[in-house]
Amino acid sequence: MTEWQRKTPLEWQKYVTKEVNVTAAEKHDYKGWVLTVDPVSANIVLVTFLEDGKVSVLVVLGHAVQEVGIVKEADDEMREKLALLFMPGESQSHGQ
Amino acid sequence: PATLSSSVPGNAVQLEQEQQGRVVMRERYLRSLSAMAGHPVRFTMYEKVNVTALFEASDIDILNFHVSELQTPLGVQRDALLRCSDIISYTFEL
Repeated sequence: MTEWQRKTPLEWQKYVTKEVNVTAAEKHDYKGWVLTVDPVSANIVLVTFLEDGKVSVLVVLGHAVQEVGIVKEADDEMREKLALLFMPGESQSHGQ
Repeated sequence: PATLSSSVPGNAVQLEQEQQGRVVMRERYLRSLSAMAGHPVRFTMYEKVNVTALFEASDIDILNFHVSELQTPLGVQRDALLRCSDIISYTFEL
């Protein structure tokens, strides 16, 4: 288990709605807004809102996480966008 | 999983907060999996292997992903099981 996986839910929660840099195995670096950290796998869900209205979701597997650095906090608008993502009944551009 | 990480037990308020946090974060993750179903997903695996497939489902412990139309150098696999321990990251677009 990595150090990241050993954190508690309250510690993981501190990263939610923050923009972070994640360093993962094999020198992969990722950046994005933390939507959530799965408490079962410690997978980090990063979101990037693209210019064309699309959303790019990138998930780093908990076992591959080496370092997570907080870049900044979300403002109210971003917090709202993140809270509504994937929620049913919202007018989002994903086909189902 | 065999054990879930948790802060030191005995503090009822903190435990309650922890459980609440767990619930919120797990729900968001499950919704992200649900949103991914049927969509093409790019998986970055170890040893510089990248594959693309349609995401179908995950098991409850997030140990294996069922995918379809897995594109490999040897051809397209109609159904496949990817071990999450082999995956570094995965990405999709909505």
